[in-house]
Amino acid sequence: MLEVRNLTAGYGGVPAIEGVSLRLDKGEIVGLLGANNAGKTTLINCLSGIVPAMSGAILFEGEDVTKLAPKHRVERGIIQVPEGRLVFPEMSVRENLLLAGFNRRARPHRKAELERVLALLPRLAERMGQMAGTLSGGEQQMLAIGRGLMAGARLLMLDEPSLGLAPRFVQYIFEIVDKLNAEGLTILLVEQNLALTLRHTRRCYVLERGKLVVEGPADVVKADPRTRSAYLGL
Amino acid sequence: MEELLQALTQGVLIGSTYGLLALGMGLTYGVSGIVNFSHGDFVSLGMFMCLALYSAFALDPYLSILITLPALTLIGAITYKLLIQPIANSHLLMIIQLTLGLTLVLQNGLLMIFGGQPARTPSVVESKLIIVGDVVMRLPHLIACVVSFVLAGLLFVMLRSTDTGRSIRAVHQNARAAALMGIDVARVQILTFAIGIGLLAVAAALLIPGTPIHPSQGLRYTVITLLVVVLGGMTNFAGIMASGLVIGIAEAMGTIYLPNVLGLLLPYLIFVAIMLLRPQRR
Amino acid sequence: MNDSLRRTLLSPFFWLAFLAIAALPFVLQSYYLHIVILALIYVALASAWNIVGGIAGQISLAHSLFVGMGAMVASALFLKLGINLWLAALIAAALSALMGAIIAFLDWRFRLGHLSFALVTLAFAEMGEIVVVGWDFLGGASGLFLPRDTGQFLQFQFGGGEGVLWAMLVLAAACILVNVAILGSPLGYYLRSIRDNEQAAQAIGVRLLRNKMLAMMISAVLTSLVGTVYVRYLTFADPYLLVSPVITIEIVLFATVGGLGRAGGPALGALLLVPLGEVLRGKLGGVLPGLHYFIYGLIVILVIRLSPAGLLPLLERAIARLRRKQPSPQIIANPTARP
Repeated sequence: MLEVRNLTAGYGGVPAIEGVSLRLDKGEIVGLLGANNAGKTTLINCLSGIVPAMSGAILFEGEDVTKLAPKHRVERGIIQVPEGRLVFPEMSVRENLLLAGFNRRARPHRKAELERVLALLPRLAERMGQMAGTLSGGEQQMLAIGRGLMAGARLLMLDEPSLGLAPRFVQYIFEIVDKLNAEGLTILLVEQNLALTLRHTRRCYVLERGKLVVEGPADVVKADPRTRSAYLGL
Repeated sequence: MEELLQALTQGVLIGSTYGLLALGMGLTYGVSGIVNFSHGDFVSLGMFMCLALYSAFALDPYLSILITLPALTLIGAITYKLLIQPIANSHLLMIIQLTLGLTLVLQNGLLMIFGGQPARTPSVVESKLIIVGDVVMRLPHLIACVVSFVLAGLLFVMLRSTDTGRSIRAVHQNARAAALMGIDVARVQILTFAIGIGLLAVAAALLIPGTPIHPSQGLRYTVITLLVVVLGGMTNFAGIMASGLVIGIAEAMGTIYLPNVLGLLLPYLIFVAIMLLRPQRR
Repeated sequence: MNDSLRRTLLSPFFWLAFLAIAALPFVLQSYYLHIVILALIYVALASAWNIVGGIAGQISLAHSLFVGMGAMVASALFLKLGINLWLAALIAAALSALMGAIIAFLDWRFRLGHLSFALVTLAFAEMGEIVVVGWDFLGGASGLFLPRDTGQFLQFQFGGGEGVLWAMLVLAAACILVNVAILGSPLGYYLRSIRDNEQAAQAIGVRLLRNKMLAMMISAVLTSLVGTVYVRYLTFADPYLLVSPVITIEIVLFATVGGLGRAGGPALGALLLVPLGEVLRGKLGGVLPGLHYFIYGLIVILVIRLSPAGLLPLLERAIARLRRKQPSPQIIANPTARP
């Protein structure tokens, strides 16, 4: 579904990721691991089109999307749920969700999708009229995921969904992630939390200082000493 | 007491249009983080378009809106896309200089076309008076006030409950998240600027009856607009309308109760005081 | 005396330019002399503004106040109170310095950002015009007339055309040299660090208040002095010209077109644009009033879009290219070069 070839990207001419290649098949859930500043967020921002690629290619369902504007990638279903949630604080939960379903491809089934999202995340249904900025961290994460679904995600990229959440919310969010994946959604899970990610994914990539150092099935990645060193920065 | 009531009424009538002038600037600041120092010259542009349409077709300024509104909106969109957007992320000084350059171009373009004689554009309603109790209102002022509030209300509803309005608010609240949700941030910025300039076409028509116009007036309107926007909290919609009223009333009170110079200074004194004393976040 | 100032003062290029301009009255008709004088006035004003706006990056739109102080207040002191115009010019300069210090203090005390600073100074400029136009002592709306310039030096008279040109030349050169001196001194380093990042500057121990105040006061004094010479040259103290915020806009645009923050940039901008504007005004002003401002506006927009650092870097690059083509053992010192 997604194929990244030899991707180099960064800010102001300085690459933050270099020569990254990875692939996701349809319906897979794949982890992207790495310490702080390893380049995880740059990578998915580049996949979203927020950070331009310096070289390399991104193929989505066989189509080269490397040069597409963020808006057109969203229309194709490449959706990022950003780190820190970034909900629109001064809009109600309903408005956040409706706005996410605003793009050309999602709009026709906006109503149906809203019902599906609210069924999946009943907590949001209770908060529809509330300003998003007043939600708890866990609720904001739910809203961010709900927004991603409303936008018509076919590949959902979750950036640090567990960050700053109480353990029971982390548990809950990951249950939802599992459920979405079981329904056939392709998911790229970007996490610092090694144990959690290995538990919820089959396959993982490990980034260290902008380069992929380990890849493979979860247990292989877990056993690889380079994974540990990538985390400890040795 | 009579005088006070008269001053208050006058202030509210004029101030509502000041609020309208400022809404566009506030929206643009919220969405693009830029301040357009040629704002007032676009008001001039709108007024001189009314004048031209009156001279050519004897069109009443209120009817001219049908032409000037789309024209100015388009000019606004082009201006933002071609001139402002490419430098929108550089130092603020650049934006100020560029829009000051634009001020010279607009102001003197108008001067070359229309000459420097103060010109008036009459309207059918120009000299009609409405008298309520002891308070005398000029009909154009009353129309200006009503239209300004109606337009502000429409804009508010648009921002609240249309997809376009929501995307404008989304870009204001978090441009990165908006981009990730598939909103074309650049387009929203152009659109917002264009709406802001388009509103000036309406404001121009509302202000023109009975007012002599001159190409050099633009800077004054820019300054009044800046005053209102800053006083209203830059991006706060209701705050901007309210501060339009405050500035309008301050102006009316100042000219009635204070000696000439001090009266003219009053709005600026209020402005400086607000600038200095408002809580700073930096 | 710091290195860069000494290098400029020893530079043959600087003195050649100075002498060439000083010799102009012997070859030019009075109309062209007028253009040269105006150009020098704006060279001086733009260079003085550059200290605050370019080097320190503080977008002051209040400089019309300092021009107005030098022009209107000095004229009023002379005409209404009989104070010698030399002394009046100095009093006006001192008042300008005081006003500059107050503005800098407000900026520091209330931690105005770039935008707020620009807005507050613009409001001050508007207020200044209102006050001058409304105050009879300063001439009110109809302005003030100075007596004819008969060349009595002790009365701040320079004898018309060539005398004013020489006086203005000295003042303009002084403004540029002050820029050179500041850029080559610790003050210049502090101001540039404030421009680039105020908080970082503060963190490495740069004293914001002292340096901002100093920059503003130096700039205000120079601007005010130019204002007095300007009004002496015009003999008519016109509030709508000399206290109008438009004069600041012109200054800022000249400085931008030439190149902000460099010693020679603003001078270059004024030297190019003022003569262009005056010639346009002379030839076409009757048919198309405002054409020169229109062109200024277009030029500044083009420069910002195509060469945001101004024309000076372009000029330097062109000179460097020429030099590479014709290698010569004698290197022409460039007064605007920075180490």
